[in-house]
Amino acid sequence: MMKLHNITLTVNGRRYDLAVEPNELLLNVIRDRLHLTGTKYGCGIAECGACSIIANGKLMLACMILAVTASGWDITTSEGLAKDGNLNPVQQAFIDKGAIQCGFCTPGMVVAGTTLLMENNSPTEDEIREYMRGNYCRCTGYTSIVEAIESAAIHMNETK
Amino acid sequence: MSTRLLDREFEYVAPNSLADALDLLSAYEGGVKVMAGGTDLLVKLKTGADIPFSILLDTKDITELSFISKCEEGIEIGALTKLCNIDRNTMLSDYHALVEAIPLMASPAVRNMGTIGGNIVNASPAADTACPLMVYDAVLRLSSASGDREVPISKFFTGVSKTVIKDDEMLVSIVLPRVKPDSGSCFIKKTRVKPDISKISVTAYIERDGSAVKACRIAMGAVAPTPIELLGVGDKAFDRVATKELFLELAELAASIIKPIDDIRSTAEYRREISKVLVAQALETAWQRAGGTL
Amino acid sequence: MKIPEVIPEKYVVGTDTPRMDGYAKVTGKQEYSSDISYPDMMWAVVIRSPFPHAEIVSIDTSEAEAFGAVVLTSKDTNPYLYNERSVSVPNATFRDRRLLPTDKVRHYGEPVMALAHDTEALAHKAARLVKIVYRELPYVLDAEEAMKDGAPQLFDKIYLGDEEVLVHNNKGVIRNIDEGNVDKGFAEADHIYEAHYVLDRIYHNQLETKSAVCKPEPDGSMTVWCTTQSIHGTRSLIAKLLDLPFSKVNIKKVTLGGGFGSSIQMNTVIPICAALAKKSGRPVKLLSSREEDFYSHHKYPTTFDIKLGVTSDMMITAAEVKALVDFGSHQIQPLAYIGCTAGWFASLYKYGSNIRFNGTAVYTNKVPCCAMQGYGNPQINFAIESMIDDICNEHGWDPIEFRLKNYRTVGDEFWGQGPTIRSIIKTSGVKESLIEGGELFNWKERKPHTEKTGRYRKGIGVARGFHTSGTGGPKEGEVIDYSSAYIKINEDGSVDVVSPVMDHGGGTWDALAKICADVLQVPLNKVGMSPTDTRTTGFDICTHATRGVYCGGAAVEHVALKVREKLLEVAGRIMNEDPKRLSIYRDDELGQGVVYLIGFPDKRMTIEQIAFHAKNYSWGTIAYADSYRQKNCPPCFVTHFVEVEVDTLTGDINMTKALMYGDCGTAINPKLLEGQLIGSFNRGLGYTLYEHIDYDNKTGQLKNRAMMVDYKTPTFCEMPYVKDCMVRVCDVYEPTGPFGAKGIGEAALASVAASIGNAIYNAVGIRFTSIPITPEKMLKALKEKEENA
Repeated sequence: MMKLHNITLTVNGRRYDLAVEPNELLLNVIRDRLHLTGTKYGCGIAECGACSIIANGKLMLACMILAVTASGWDITTSEGLAKDGNLNPVQQAFIDKGAIQCGFCTPGMVVAGTTLLMENNSPTEDEIREYMRGNYCRCTGYTSIVEAIESAAIHMNETK
Repeated sequence: MSTRLLDREFEYVAPNSLADALDLLSAYEGGVKVMAGGTDLLVKLKTGADIPFSILLDTKDITELSFISKCEEGIEIGALTKLCNIDRNTMLSDYHALVEAIPLMASPAVRNMGTIGGNIVNASPAADTACPLMVYDAVLRLSSASGDREVPISKFFTGVSKTVIKDDEMLVSIVLPRVKPDSGSCFIKKTRVKPDISKISVTAYIERDGSAVKACRIAMGAVAPTPIELLGVGDKAFDRVATKELFLELAELAASIIKPIDDIRSTAEYRREISKVLVAQALETAWQRAGGTL
Repeated sequence: MKIPEVIPEKYVVGTDTPRMDGYAKVTGKQEYSSDISYPDMMWAVVIRSPFPHAEIVSIDTSEAEAFGAVVLTSKDTNPYLYNERSVSVPNATFRDRRLLPTDKVRHYGEPVMALAHDTEALAHKAARLVKIVYRELPYVLDAEEAMKDGAPQLFDKIYLGDEEVLVHNNKGVIRNIDEGNVDKGFAEADHIYEAHYVLDRIYHNQLETKSAVCKPEPDGSMTVWCTTQSIHGTRSLIAKLLDLPFSKVNIKKVTLGGGFGSSIQMNTVIPICAALAKKSGRPVKLLSSREEDFYSHHKYPTTFDIKLGVTSDMMITAAEVKALVDFGSHQIQPLAYIGCTAGWFASLYKYGSNIRFNGTAVYTNKVPCCAMQGYGNPQINFAIESMIDDICNEHGWDPIEFRLKNYRTVGDEFWGQGPTIRSIIKTSGVKESLIEGGELFNWKERKPHTEKTGRYRKGIGVARGFHTSGTGGPKEGEVIDYSSAYIKINEDGSVDVVSPVMDHGGGTWDALAKICADVLQVPLNKVGMSPTDTRTTGFDICTHATRGVYCGGAAVEHVALKVREKLLEVAGRIMNEDPKRLSIYRDDELGQGVVYLIGFPDKRMTIEQIAFHAKNYSWGTIAYADSYRQKNCPPCFVTHFVEVEVDTLTGDINMTKALMYGDCGTAINPKLLEGQLIGSFNRGLGYTLYEHIDYDNKTGQLKNRAMMVDYKTPTFCEMPYVKDCMVRVCDVYEPTGPFGAKGIGEAALASVAASIGNAIYNAVGIRFTSIPITPEKMLKALKEKEENA
């Protein structure tokens, strides 16, 4: 048996105190122990972005982080983007622009789109493509996702 | 083995100072694996790489190694500086090839997690930060509980995933000599799709003296078991007037001496052919960045 | 003011409506199979073959069991041989695989046994305690080699329906079709063209790996959440393999994280999970890793030898195709695959009605192949559409004119699912798409490659394709096709639709809801798609063959019309009027469907009032359930115009512009239709320029080590810019489809590869007869061309 480590995670504003083994992945802790299943397993090797999360304000991949490393972190998952039932502008734009198909990549996509707009409030199409390129989607062909992020940026700038 | 989980058992330590980390490394003599951002190491461990260790040393709390600062020689970059903090740092903006290489690596999420030290110590033949550091003559500062040493990056890599770093040592920082006046550099890579490991990368560096080349260096990734500097190729340009023909000549020479292989990402033949184009292109851009015209 | 006799109905079909599952999907709350968990649940892992071909000598699980694992070996499983694809009738279905193998393993990564433990980590630990002894056997990875005498044999005998069939030289299926007089047709031709085309293996790379959660219920039944395109198909096989009546197996309709054909068949992990749940008596979760998924399903590779005869006045007089399919180590219906490929070939052009198709499908020690968006259509389309481009280039003929002269159109016969399922084409947007598309793409200004110079060369190309909409025909064929629906009006006037149809994400569920809303003239937000399962739904064969809207939607339309009839009958009783004089319209101010007396619109009741009355009078629920079979399989068409730019120094191919011109009849969800066309274009782009599954001949393993890092698909950055991805929809109304709709899903990919290949030819004058066209291949070809010049 490996030694258990006590960790504290703040996820979507809620504090969790857990004991984890050192080899437990943050992704599996979020999914199986916090029951936040919006963060998905896709490739397991940081290639697909399905496990995108916001960790201390930065876009990261939960499949490539040990839970024990993340102790003390402030994490937002796709479930935590909407506030009081109101979707954030990126989430809303994904619906409006038809940027969703099977939906398995969607939580990671909206998380990445959200951090993109946190860092750059009016990205060009090239900047969107460059930033989002680590998020894989087999269904949409990506252009509707680009449109959604562009439209969310416009919306955010208008309502500022 | 499965990428769904990390099917390895180990003890975990996360020292919060370099000194503590080095003490741990010397106390356990082998058996300790240092993890920087984890983006390479955890992939290797998940996919069954033969890396024996019983203790994982997580560097996340060693904040003293995350910095970019001026030093006597030029600029010093802490080994645990995240990749995302390098290309945006204005102190580094004259190191064209380095700041050009970073945003081409993987994806923003990976660059938020991965560190420059990790990219170097991982010692991939395709490591994108290695070649720019080579043409700048970067020096790596290694420390252990028993002392410090400096290794030029050109002497650091010994094979695929192999370096001169000893079991009790850690890479502490990278020292970049001051940028010379009238110099320029350029990094180009070819990939299958945009976010990808290089199937070939070329870094060129030129110092200009009027219309002539004062110094020229070329390094390449993914054409040998380690990132390599093509010694002797750039020297051919010494004191010659820069022309497209000169750069093509150097590119042909570069292509003739590299020994690339066939693998899943590309073919030896393609790598050799393409290097003729990419080396010339990188030299041209470096020359222009050095203020030269063609 | 004149009161209109009939108040016009309003339709949501044809308008953009936000996806019903949008909120759940952007908030991470949509549940997929892998998200289901139960207390006391075990986690399973599959132990897979480390060899491409080996005898299983012994399996020792004692240590794993002592460690607390529940193990499943072939001894625990039903010996019945099955084919995981169950859309064909039994006598057109080859059966060759067991739930777990007894004698030997036939490809690297094939399941050998499985076990379950309390956590996933413990299950992996237990797996390391299992000792399996194998005796390695020689293996074969190439179809041509596999057919030679003395090659390693994968099977001696298999079953076709209940009949035993002997396998010779690994030939799993031979299917030959001959119609008209091919020799005479070639004799009438002025020019004969022949070429060889190679369409290699690729992998679906759907984002959700194959998964199942199985829960044994106290009544002895089994509840299953799994990745599937067919809940009823999965139920029939699980019931058979677990020896349970259908009524004791309940497959939940759960959102699928991408299918593309890879879950038409029951994925192998599903019965393994179910058997473990049965044995352990506890819920079991079995999630494939990406590596395991890479070793579970691939797209059919096919090589073609094509021969076309053409007259000097641009008419094709005869066509002959020889197809060789390397389908891997088990049959997931290469029989149907070959038949369908023949059908796509036969239905693309008229060929003077003289066609010959010889297809052979061969066992090799590789991953079994299955459908992947098009079931042979993208493969044969690439070959034929490339050859037609060559023919036109040689003669200076306009490829658009050539196609218009030769294509199968209204009144011609169309093979919707191989030679046994045919119907007559009633609508076609081909002409519109070729002519209007040509205008939009400045086709007439296209210059030949000989006039292009410089490092970067642009070229434009066109190709056209189609797919079937469903597998129905006037006569039943070898593929089963019908769907079902149950619709009820609730006591408040809202509507529940209970449908067995699966949605891969294309928006099928939204389409079904809209069809129902429009038939009943209720607002869309009052229609709910019920979460459902096999227990509560009638049969639906599968969401495959681009049939979700055309067949599944038709069943919903059919049942909704019956409910409408009942509604009017009940309203007539309340209003004391003849139901035949009543009609319905949607009143958006009221947010209600309203039943009124034709000619006297003041005499009216909302559906809510009617339902409320029916309840209070104890008249029962206004509801109907039925099955419905489409008796046509109309082709949905697509034309692709594309522009590429080739860097002649590096071989890089940049996709600069694309026009996707689709004919799906009525577009029920216009925005989602756009997504289908652009998404398919992206996958087609991957197929043409990037994707390949290569085997290492020395190990029988995948060269990419089954990792996504070395399986590249086009990302955000490889697509043309938003403004350069143009979508147009033909003005077509299909009389046999719900609200005039046909399908589009698979058609949308059919001609992508050929259009890109043709554009590349137009740019640099090089014809690629195999894909993917990588920079490596391009640069090599450019060098060769230069040397030969």
